[in-house]
Order: sequence, then structure tokens, then C-alpha cells
Amino acid sequence: MSKKLFFNWLLFSFVFLPVFLFGQAVKGTVTDEATGLPVSGTTVLVKGTTNGQSTDFDGKYSINISEYPAVLVFSYLGYETKEVTVNSSSTVNVQLKESQEALDEIVISGLGTSVKRANSANAIAVVKAEELVGKTAQPTLDGALYGKIPGANLTASSGAPGGGFALRLRGITSINGNNQPLFIIDGVYVNNAEIPSGLRFASGANRGNEENSGNRLADLDPNDIERVEVLKGAAASVIYGQRASAGVVVITTKRGKQGKAKVSFSQDVGFNTIINKLGMRPWNAQNVEAQFGASEVALFNDAILNGGLIDYEDEIYGEEGFITETKINVSGGNEGTKYYVGASYRDEEGIIKNTGFDRFSLRANVDFKISDVFSASVSSNYVRSNSSRSFTGNENEGGLSYGYTLAFTRPWIDLRPDANGNYPDNPNYSGNPILVRDLAQNTDRNNRFIQSVKLTANILETEKDRVKVTFSGGLDYLGNETFVYVPEIHQAQRGNQNGFIGVGKNNFTFFNHQIVAVWNHDAMNGDLAFTTQGGLIYIENQSDFVLTQATQLIPGQTTLGQGAAQQIGQTKQVVKDFGYFAQTEANYKDMLIGTLGIRFDKSTLNGDPNKFYAFPRAAVAANLHNMDFWNSDAISQFKLRAAYGESGNSANFGATFTSLNQVSIGGNGGSTIGGLQGDPNIDPETSAELEVGIDARLFDKVNVELTYYNRTVDDLILSRVLPTSSGFGTETTNLADLKNNGIELGININAIENDNFIWNTGVNFWLNRSEVTRLDVPAFPQPGAGFGLGLGTFFIEEGSPVTQLVGNINNVPTQVGDVEPDFQIAFNNSFTIFKNWDISFLLHWKEGGDNLNLSRLLTDLGGTSPDLDTPAGQDRAGQGFVATRFVEPAGYLRLREIGTYYRLPETAYRWLGKDVSGVKIGLSARNLFTITDYSSYDPEVSVNGGAGLSSGIEVTPFPSAKQFYFHLKVDF
Amino acid sequence: MKTDIYNRTYLRLLVAITLVFSVSSCSFDEQVDPNRASLEGVLTNASVNQLNNLVVGVEATMRNGLGIQTTGSGTMARELYLFDADPRNTADLLGANGGNLDNNSFYSTAPWAGRYRAIKNANTLLEAIANTTSITDAQRAGYSGFAKTVIAHELIDVLKSYGRARVDVADPANLGPILEFDAALDAVLTMLNDGLADLNGAGSEFAFNLGGFAGFDTPSTFAQFNRALAATAYVYDGNGSAALTALTNSFLDLSGDITTGPKHVFSLGAGDGTNDLFKITDNNGDQIIVHDSWIADAEAGDTRVTSKTSVRSNPTSQDGLNGTNQTELYASNVSSIDIIRNEELILLYAEASILASNLDDAEDALNVIRASASLSDFAGDPTSASELTADMLEQRRYSLWCENHRMFDLRRYNLSSSLPIDRAGDQIFNVLPVPLTENEN
Repeated sequence: MSKKLFFNWLLFSFVFLPVFLFGQAVKGTVTDEATGLPVSGTTVLVKGTTNGQSTDFDGKYSINISEYPAVLVFSYLGYETKEVTVNSSSTVNVQLKESQEALDEIVISGLGTSVKRANSANAIAVVKAEELVGKTAQPTLDGALYGKIPGANLTASSGAPGGGFALRLRGITSINGNNQPLFIIDGVYVNNAEIPSGLRFASGANRGNEENSGNRLADLDPNDIERVEVLKGAAASVIYGQRASAGVVVITTKRGKQGKAKVSFSQDVGFNTIINKLGMRPWNAQNVEAQFGASEVALFNDAILNGGLIDYEDEIYGEEGFITETKINVSGGNEGTKYYVGASYRDEEGIIKNTGFDRFSLRANVDFKISDVFSASVSSNYVRSNSSRSFTGNENEGGLSYGYTLAFTRPWIDLRPDANGNYPDNPNYSGNPILVRDLAQNTDRNNRFIQSVKLTANILETEKDRVKVTFSGGLDYLGNETFVYVPEIHQAQRGNQNGFIGVGKNNFTFFNHQIVAVWNHDAMNGDLAFTTQGGLIYIENQSDFVLTQATQLIPGQTTLGQGAAQQIGQTKQVVKDFGYFAQTEANYKDMLIGTLGIRFDKSTLNGDPNKFYAFPRAAVAANLHNMDFWNSDAISQFKLRAAYGESGNSANFGATFTSLNQVSIGGNGGSTIGGLQGDPNIDPETSAELEVGIDARLFDKVNVELTYYNRTVDDLILSRVLPTSSGFGTETTNLADLKNNGIELGININAIENDNFIWNTGVNFWLNRSEVTRLDVPAFPQPGAGFGLGLGTFFIEEGSPVTQLVGNINNVPTQVGDVEPDFQIAFNNSFTIFKNWDISFLLHWKEGGDNLNLSRLLTDLGGTSPDLDTPAGQDRAGQGFVATRFVEPAGYLRLREIGTYYRLPETAYRWLGKDVSGVKIGLSARNLFTITDYSSYDPEVSVNGGAGLSSGIEVTPFPSAKQFYFHLKVDF
Repeated sequence: MKTDIYNRTYLRLLVAITLVFSVSSCSFDEQVDPNRASLEGVLTNASVNQLNNLVVGVEATMRNGLGIQTTGSGTMARELYLFDADPRNTADLLGANGGNLDNNSFYSTAPWAGRYRAIKNANTLLEAIANTTSITDAQRAGYSGFAKTVIAHELIDVLKSYGRARVDVADPANLGPILEFDAALDAVLTMLNDGLADLNGAGSEFAFNLGGFAGFDTPSTFAQFNRALAATAYVYDGNGSAALTALTNSFLDLSGDITTGPKHVFSLGAGDGTNDLFKITDNNGDQIIVHDSWIADAEAGDTRVTSKTSVRSNPTSQDGLNGTNQTELYASNVSSIDIIRNEELILLYAEASILASNLDDAEDALNVIRASASLSDFAGDPTSASELTADMLEQRRYSLWCENHRMFDLRRYNLSSSLPIDRAGDQIFNVLPVPLTENEN
């Protein structure tokens, strides 16, 4: 009984027990230099021996020394190692400084482990909270990543509030399938769907991805994020399995630290305004007559006499949308419990009246240390977000999309409502944009609940072995409601649909659970460290889309029951994945690190739902600076690394089915062949990536990272268009191979580090080239990524880049452009002046890359293009409809973020109360200026949303906005 | 030692939980589409209900692409313009600026896709009835006769638009070749005759209902529709006497209501479609405008001009084209579109009579049409086949305006070049290119 008590006491103490040998021990406390808090778990080693201890929870250690003098080495992941010479038994207190050296940073190495960047064989990009949201307020997470991840091509699909981005890591990974990386937050596999609202049934747009929907990543508050780690390709992301071939973005949110509770409050106010107005054509009686005929001149002259021409671009896009964001969080903790609780509310109005986005987010992250063996972590996040995006993008005769309407609307026709609130009809197009802006709606509401739970058990702790097991589970529940309303008085509705209501109620439940065991083993007296892990993971995604439409409305009514014609559609999806994985990493004295791993995955999306596909991984890193022969002072860190990995990408849901659609005639319901011929034997795409690189630290100031990658994707799943005479439209099957290769270079320099002036600068350079290396069918235009060879489309052809734009020239499909940029550069600078004043900015330069500007097609047709009176404009307008006419270079230089902050000196805020520990004020701007040759609103655009092959084709998008902010932050 | 025992307990716990997890994730069931019926499900042992669903699918998809099929050929034949947001309607189709018709744009892909979707549904029906025991032989003959007749109808439309057609399309993995006009038309006639034989053995009623075939929904009356199509095909083939024989077995009635005939019907019900050729009166941005020559060339007092069109209250122009009148052919977006009506049969009778040298019969038929349009009788030389032909074509031009006839009528009489050119640089096209997706190269 007493023996058991003794052992219990030992177990409830801490892992490495101090040995009490009086007179021979050195003891003390290790604290963090910046915060003064104790650093537990610091390794205290007698240099040259294997005699080591670890500091306890209070940062205290006591180490037995056999021989003096001795050098004690204090080290902890993320801090600079410190050495102290001791000559006798005494108390030595040590303060550790957070490491500035990039290679000491921690990065992910497996599902359950992390490792020093110095020892990682992959080029993993890390974006910390300060970089993410430190310069300026960011509306959404994906928008905050611009220019911060070399190798990433981020394109906004639309300027509408609430975002919508396509994030491509190292080029296009898949044409039909998922091109967006996997997003994991605190272990939850997050839903980043773009959910169509059904507005295409009112506007005539061809498909759901033309509705300019937002991406549900917009629900996540970027301010909660502590760090973002991006695994850019299969070489790093193997361990995440079948969903990870386009990369993985692993997000960790802020957690509490031990210590006094800290409260932080911040308030941002600002406004949105359009980046770039296109202006009006300089109208006069002559060009009015030439364009529209003599009868139009009378209308023109009338308008001039009665108040002048109306600038509809300003009328619609000229609002200055007010933005406010309030954040408050509390964090703190003690030995057993650490917490971070925060709430934030962002309300943003768009540049079009009645558009906007607001988000309320509540978060509670709690970590428990239950005992020596068990610890648990819980992260909960509730988000309620609403957006109103109005009508933009492609359409067919719906009279709704502003860009379309504005292309045909003539500035001498007054479309504003009269004194009684009646909106005149537009004589030149099927809709009045003022009516659409004021009366039509396209909104969505989201309730999101993201929950993760993690339980860690340290099963075994001996001198040489440590085994821990982690059980974790995650849940992402999204309840999304969409509402589209077009009033029955709208010009294109009268006599036709007579009003349109579309109500979508969509539920998504994504959950996952996994169990991972990690075994750390020290061999060869601590010279060789093995980290072996293995586990299983199960993912299930359930989606239920219900869309109900009502037309033939009772005047003025906006609920479904008031429509005489009603139509319901429902689509359900259930996807299940299951995988096993194992990985082992061997680290020889931090000099040579090798990793081998493999993952087996099966999924119900594949033709055979029970077939396991294997994805292997191998990597090696050599830290030359740790090797004996290395004696350069100038180059303090030098690492060579190489990694190879394979990952997969399953087909989209439904690719295996050949189904019948519902159709009716004469009051009878029946079945018709659906357009898609399924492939019951479809395999996932496999991407294999080889990545090699060098990391170095020079002159103690310069960090350099250079990577070359070569990624091949085999068995690409493509939708090819079948001969229509077969009765089917498309078939989805494994048809092609694709290759991407490129270079990423990152240089970061701590140029100046004085007391009064600190300057850090960084440059990221990256480029990517792609090629379709095998295509089993004749070249074809990609369905859903363009508007036919007559106007220009993405075209899949063997031997050509997958990003090429092709159009018919003399009836032969010919390449007319390429959406892929020649290269991209991000230039990042931050200055701290006189300790209190920070200035920073991020410039982003995209060189090359073409867009297909079909908005120009519409404005030419309507006669309203601003340059139609110039020789260049007339040349272009006279060309007829050939694809070359609309291809434009889309390179740009953009100042993405700029901010300046001032930390008030203590005397300035002392009067607020003694609890206030810091006050910071600042000004910042986002997208402040853009230099580009592109002739429309924003060279970053996509008419087909963020998935698949999309960016670069423009059809009347929501114009992009720049934002200005004033910030106030108070810490208690 | 005690540490080991303590840890062994944890290890056992770990093993147990791992097993629980493994068991919970073992094997996945074969996946079925949770949202729709599968094709496989109807191809074997289909019930009457499932077969009737396929019949509905056939009839519904006969309407696919009707809008662009009609306005495309109508634009090319200079009988109308379509002013809407897509510039290709006023550019490509009129050969603007020396351009060509694109084989991968909606105007060439949508009609082909619509017709072949209906043909695929009909072939699926044929395959389904061959593999089921839930129907009697007579009922089977009824389904078969219906399907073959519809396939023939769709192929005729394909030939009118494209001049060529792929006839053997039952197996998507082994498509037959694209046949030239004559060979394809022969295949169509064979199919119609097979269909007729089936219909004659189908008893007195079908096992299925039809939406737009009121008066033509029994085997014997549907057979009249079959013969009407056969007459059309024989006339296109230049075989006047066979056409006349077919007409006698159709619903041709020289003294009856000229509007009788099966129709495409529309409604606002769930899953149903609306009439794409309906355009709101005086609307802008989506309008079918009558070609000015159709108004100018009409004989004074032709009531077809005033009943099918109206004068716009505000003039409209697009892309350098103008027109004074717009369509009033359909009263609402649920008005039905005739598949083939008595009026067309009378005109076919006239044409077949000319081909068979029965000029008096031809003149009588033309006068019936003229009278229905409040025009006086044919005033030309009744012994001149060429004058009667010219009048017959004029009557077809007005009676069948905006119904996908004009372009083919002119093409088969080699008169396409007589069409007016509206703008300098425009060209006359009289046939659509087979879509790119047919992989002809």
C-alpha cells in the first residue's frame, strides 16, 4: 500500500525526477525573457555528457554535476539555446530568448508530431498571426494569405464582400476535381465549399459556379489564428492521404498560456471603395449617332439639357461601404487549465448599396492537463455569418447582373425611380440595374459550429522511450440558408417568370476521428533519435442541399407559398474515407534526418469503395552546419533537403453513377437520361511530387530558402464531352497525365537591428509551369471553363500547358494566351522606429499571365466601351468575334497591405487605469494601389468560381475594392 | 516494475480502443446514387410504371433546344432576328464580317444535343421493353411504334438543320457513322415503316399516356402522325407519289381545321419546361424581331402577318440590324408549339402533287391555304409547275414562319442565294456544322 502511494506520488510528480545529491547539484529556474513566465520542459544538459534533466512546471531544475567546471546547455524548441559555465554548486537562473532563426521554428512532420524546421525535409511555409493580420484587417482567411506563401497562386473570384478565392499551391493539381488544398483547423477537416444559391434559374446563368458565390472559409475569423502552416504538395502532405494532393493548410488557433489572465480589446473602423473605375465613353452627338442611329441623338440632347448624362458606374459601384470590426479576447491559465476565449464581430458594407458581409464569431479553446499521463484540449467555435452579394457574373437575359446591364445601358436614359417609386424599363437591355440594386436580393445566412476534441495519453516514459497516444475528433457543422428574390415587376420577369424566389436550405455535417500513436526512441546513446508514428483516421462528410423555387408570385410577396409555380430539388451526398498510415523518422545528431512513411486510403468516391490505394513518402535532410567539417561563420545554417511523396485526389461525388433525371410534361412525371455517363471503375488521381531544396542562414541576418519541385499527376479525372449523338453530354473518367514544375525562392533579411530602428525585409519569388503529358482522347475544350472555341476557352491538349486559353483561328483551335503568370514576387518590409512606431507593407507583383476579358465583348456590343472612339478601340471592335480580340495581359503590381501603428507610451494611457498594459493605434490600407495594363476592374477574376480550372476568364464580375482602416487596440 | 504494470493497463486500454476504431470503419457498401434512379435499373425487368416514365422522358425531351433550333435557322434564312445578350445570334449566324459558323458554339451544339437526347431516351425505351416481361406483346408493339416514330421525327429535324445525321446511336460505345442526307433519309423511312407495322399490331390503346397528343394517343391515330412524318420524308426525298399515299393515311383534311395536329405542350409545373419562343411584347433585350423583307414581301391583306406578328411601339436595333415587327406567335410561355399540323400537311399535299404532276390538286391545296390567310386564289399559270412551286414556297414561308422550315426549304430548292444581305460583309449560310464533339477528325 505504501509502496503504491510512493509510486503514485512519483507519477503525479514530473517525468524527469530531480536527484537530490546535496553539494553536487546546480539548480535554478528557467524563464522566458520576454514574458518572465517559466518555461517547463526545457532540457538542461551537461555539455559533453548524457547527463540531462528537464525543468518542471515551474521552470525549476536541479542537476547533479560530477565534475567542475562544467558547461550547462539549456535548450527548448523555439528558443535560442543558451550555455552557462558553472564552477561550483550554485543557483543558476537562466532566461531564454525566442529564436529568430528560421530553422529553429517548429513545423509539422506528421499527423501527430512536429519538428524543428532545421530538421524538416520539406519546404513548409509558415504564416504566423502577426504576418497574417498584423498589417491590416483581413476580411477572410484565404484573402489574408496573399503574397505570404511562395508557390501559391491566389486569385479572387469576385470582389463581393465575403470573399471567394481560388488558392492553388504549385499550379493546377486537378482539372475537374478539387484544386483547393485541404484546410484543417485544430484537427477539424473544414468545409470550404462554394454553395450556389440557385440564382441562375432567374438570371439564366449556365451553371452553379457562375453565381459568384462566396466560399465558406469566409466564416473563419483570421484573428483567431495563431499560425498557418502550408504543406504545398504531395512531398509533404502524404500523411493526410487522399484529399491532400493539392496541398494542406494546417491552421492552429490561439491558445491560452499559463499566467495572469490577459484581456485584449480591439476596434477597427474603415471603409471600402472601388479600386479602379473604368469611366464613361466621352459621348457627343456625333458618336451617339454613329453608334445608335439618328433617333438616339434626340434622346441624348434631351438628357444633356435636363441634368446631364448619368454615370451609372458611379451610381452602382460608387458607394463607400462602412466597415467595423470589434474583437475581444481573454486568455490565461494555471498549471492544470489554460484557456483562450474570444469573440469578434465584423460588419462590412460593399461598394454596391445593399451588399455586405457580417460575421459574428465566438471561440473557446481550453487545454487541460489532467494528470501526468492525460491531457486534453478542446476547441469550440461558433460563427454566424450573413452576406448579401447581389447579382454579378454571367447570365443569359435575366436582366440582373450589373456588369451585363451596365454594358448596354446608355447614360442619357434615366432609370432612376420617379417620385412614386416606379422604376422605368430599360429600353436597351432586359433589366433596370437601379431596380435590381434596390429591390432584388441575393443573401445567405450561415450558422457554423466547429468543434474539436483531443485527448493525449502519455503511455510510456522511460529514459530511451516515450510513447503517447492521441485520440482526436472534429466536427464541422454548417447550416446554410440562401435566399434569392427578384420582384415580379422586373422587366425580364413580367409575362415570364413573374417574380422569382429561390430558398436554399443546406446542411453539412463533416466529422472525423483519428487515433495516432507516437513512439520516440533514443538509440546510440541519444545520437540517433527515432520518431515513429502510426494511426487510423476516419472521415465522413454528409451534405444535404434543398432548393425550392417559386415563380408566378402574388405581387409584393416574398415567401415561397405565394408563388403559383413551385419547384423543389434536393441533392444528398455522403462521402466516407478511411485510412491507415505509418511513418518513421530517424534523426542522427541533428545532422542527417531521414523519413519514410506510407498511407493507405479508401473512399466511397472511388469506383471500388473498399480498395485501398497506397501513398508512400520518403525524405532526407542534411544539416551541413551541424556536421564536424563545417566551420564557416558566415553561413551559420546550411541544409540540403530532398523529399518525395505521392498523394491522391478522388473523383467528385456522383462520378460513378449513370442516372436518370426527373422531367415532366402534360402533368405526367417521368425520367430522362441525365447528361453524365458515369464510370463505375473510376480510380483516384495520383500526384507524385519530388521536391529538393536548400535552406541557409548567412551572416546571422539573412535566411535563404530555395526549392525546386516537380509534380506529376497521373490518371487525371476529366470530364470529356462525349459525342452528343450518344445521348450523353459528358463522361468523367481517368484520361490524362499532367506535370507541374517550378521554383520557389525566399529571402528574409534582418537588415538593421538597432535600439531605435529595426528593419526586416523579405522577398519571395516563385514560378510554375504546367504541361499535359498524356491525353487519351482528342484535345477538347474543358466544359464549364469558358464559352466555346468561338470566344476562347480552357482547352485540354497534350503537350500544352493546362492553363492555356484557346480559340478558333481560321477554324483551327489555336493557343491565344496562357493564364499562368511568368513569375510572381512578393516584397515584404517592416520597420520599427523608436521602439514604438511600426510601419510595414507588402507589395505583390505578378508578371505575365493572360485573362480572357469577355466583359469587353459586352461593352463593345452595347457600344459603351470607354475606348471605342480611339483608333485602338475601333480596331478591336471591327475584328468580329475572335478569341484573340479578348485576350489581355493580366500582370499587375499591387500594394496589398500597408500599415502603420504606434504603441502609446505608458504615460499616455496611464490615466485609463492601472489595469491597462498597452494601447496601440494605427492606420492601414488593403489593395491601396494597382498598376496594371488590364482594361477591366481587376486582373484577378474568375467567372467560374474557385474550383477546377477557373481563374482568368472574366464576365462582368463584382468589382474589387480597396479598404482603409483605423485601428485601436487596448490590452489589459 | 510497478510502473510497467501501470503502463500495461494503459496499453491494454489503448489496444481495446484501437480495435473499436478499426471495427467501426471496416467496409464500405457499394454506393448508389441517393438522389436519382439509375439507368441500369430500368434496362432490366422494368415495370410498366418505369416504362411510362421513359415515355414521358421521350416526349419531354423532344422539346429540348427548340428555341435555338428555330431562331438559329430562322436567322440564317433571313426570316427573323434574335436580339438578346449573346452577340453570336446577330453576328455568327449572319456570317458577319466574313466569319464562319463555329462548330462549338451553342447554335450548332444545342439543337444536335436536344434531338439526340430524345433519341437516346427512345432507344433506352426500346432496350427496356426488350428486356422485360411485365408487358404484353401488343403493349410492347405500342411502345416500340411510339419510340421508332419519335426517333424518325428527331432525325428529320437533324437532317433539316445539319444535312447529315448519325443514325445508329443505340450503343454509346459503338456509334455508327454519320450518314449523308440521302442515306440517312432512307434509314428514316425504314424506321417509320417499321414503326407503322408495330403500331398496327398494338391493339386499340397504348399502355401509356401522352401530353401533347390529344386526338393522336391511340395506336391508330398515332399511326396517322407516323404517316404524316412519312409524307414529309418522302417529299424531302422527292418521291411525290409515295408522299401522296402516305398523306391519305395521315390526318390530312383539305376542308378541315388547319390547326389540328400533335403539339409540344408546356407548363409551369415542377420539372416541366416553358415555351422558349414566347417573347414578351415590346420587351428589350430578348426579342424575336421579324425580318423586314417578310413584312415587305407579303401580299396585301395577308392575315398571317397580323396574327403572327405585331408592330413594336418602340423601335429596336442591335448590331446594325433593325426591324419594325416582333413575334406574337405564342400568347404565353405555356402556349404549345405544333409538331406538325394540318396546314403543313396541306402544303405537303400541294408539293407532293407538283412532284407527281397533279397540278390541279396542287392549285386546289394552295387555294385552301390562301383562303385561310384571307388572300385571293392563286393567280399565276396553273399549268406551270415552276410558278406553282414558287407560290407553294411563298405559302410555306408565311404559314410556317418561325417554325424551322424556311432555311431547309430554300436549301432543298437551291434558292438560298436569293436571300437578302442586310449589312456589308454578311453571308448566307444554309446548313449548320456538325458539332465538334462528334470527333469527325
